[in-house]
Amino acid sequence: MEESNNKNNNHVEETSKKIVVPGEFLGQTGKKRIGSHVFIKDNGMYSDVLGLLSEADDWINIVPLEGKYDARRDDIVIGVVASERFAGYDININGFYPSFIPKSALRNPLRLGDIVSGIVDSVNEVNEISLTNIRTFFDGEIIHVSPVKVPRMIGKNNSMLNVLKQGTLCQFVVGRNGMVWAKGGNIDLLVKALRKIEHESHLSNLTNNINEFLEEEKKKGELK
Amino acid sequence: MSEETNLIEKGKRFDGRSLKELRPLTIKAHVLPRAEGSCYLEWGQNKAIAGVYGPKETIPKHFADPLKGIIKFNYRMAGFSVSDRKSPKPGRREVEISKVCGEALARAVFLEKYPNTMIEVFVEILDSDAGSRVAALTAAAVALADAGIPMRDLVSAVAVGEIFKTPVVDMTKVEEDVEDAVDMPFAVLPNSKEIVLLQLDGLISLNDFKQAIKNGLEASEKIHEIQKNALLERYSPESVKETEPAEKEEKEEKQKKETKKKKTSKEKEGELNE
Repeated sequence: MEESNNKNNNHVEETSKKIVVPGEFLGQTGKKRIGSHVFIKDNGMYSDVLGLLSEADDWINIVPLEGKYDARRDDIVIGVVASERFAGYDININGFYPSFIPKSALRNPLRLGDIVSGIVDSVNEVNEISLTNIRTFFDGEIIHVSPVKVPRMIGKNNSMLNVLKQGTLCQFVVGRNGMVWAKGGNIDLLVKALRKIEHESHLSNLTNNINEFLEEEKKKGELK
Repeated sequence: MSEETNLIEKGKRFDGRSLKELRPLTIKAHVLPRAEGSCYLEWGQNKAIAGVYGPKETIPKHFADPLKGIIKFNYRMAGFSVSDRKSPKPGRREVEISKVCGEALARAVFLEKYPNTMIEVFVEILDSDAGSRVAALTAAAVALADAGIPMRDLVSAVAVGEIFKTPVVDMTKVEEDVEDAVDMPFAVLPNSKEIVLLQLDGLISLNDFKQAIKNGLEASEKIHEIQKNALLERYSPESVKETEPAEKEEKEEKQKKETKKKKTSKEKEGELNE
């Protein structure tokens, strides 16, 4: 029992990257390529957000720990039909405004509350998003997660997705906008696992920890 | 004269602080789970809670700026925050403070990244003892950073001024009410030393004004450090372990079971008594 407690403590203590706050000085500008959430002022590099700093000899980048969905082209997003208009539908995709889909782009009409997925076709200068490849989901439910934690829920080469699929036996699709569609399997366990990923996204060795967590939860379920 | 000797004696103020010393300041980030960013602040007797929502669609729409986002700052004092009951109706003072604090934050936030949107900041003062606007601004800056909104810098605010022609930092209500006292709320972006809020109540000489600015800059560095620590604290291994969702649920379940047990034992006792 003690050993398992120690294991749990160890995984929490491992923080591999430095956490920076807005306005934190990151060094003088040199030949480094600047990634996201870094801004330059008077030949100095500064962080503009609360996030994890990753740095190498020739590049610097910050992964935010909190924030809204920052839409990019070709992102797969999940949304809910929020309202119907004469020419199309407003889809709530967790952005600043609902996204509009024209009826001409659809084969079958949608109804309010329908869950759909789409690919971001373009984002204009006022952050309005247009979608293509609209697909409708039947049944299932939506789980809201933090959009900035989505890359951790997918993992390198889908490693985290595979762990979650094997551990929960759910069918699910993770949208880049922080909406997850899930159906079948143990959805409660999936929600627990996703909350754990959100909570510990800044710690290393996350995939193994989630694997252990899912196995433990499975054992608990069997015992009950 | 007697009042002067009471309030400042041998370089110490009536509450034991030195002239440039701040009241005890504690900040905790992310205290409201439903808000996108939040912060609770205690600064001496001042207590403030701040919540941030957005960026989101601007309402009413005619306020929307297609070139940048806007900040809607709502400063409100609770009815029980002062000795006489404060009317809940927003007064002239609250509207003014909301305006100046919103403008101070607008300088720090990269609003041009969010055209046509608004960021709503709500600050409720639960208890006040002078310097509540700087407390609100300091809390709001932490709440904005906690919400993940891109910012040039945090905003550190402090009230500086003078009593009996002696420059002091972070005055209490007793000090502020002294005759000829000068109160100067002051907010700065700590890295660039850009002043984003400066108000002045009273008459001050140019030299004293310069000294007050210098004191304000020194104090803001200390406040900035506390703000930074509050943001980092949330991701420290200890707090991650404490707030782990699974553990939280287990604790809640345990509490529920215990309360149920207590209830049933009480009911049994009641039945026996009958």
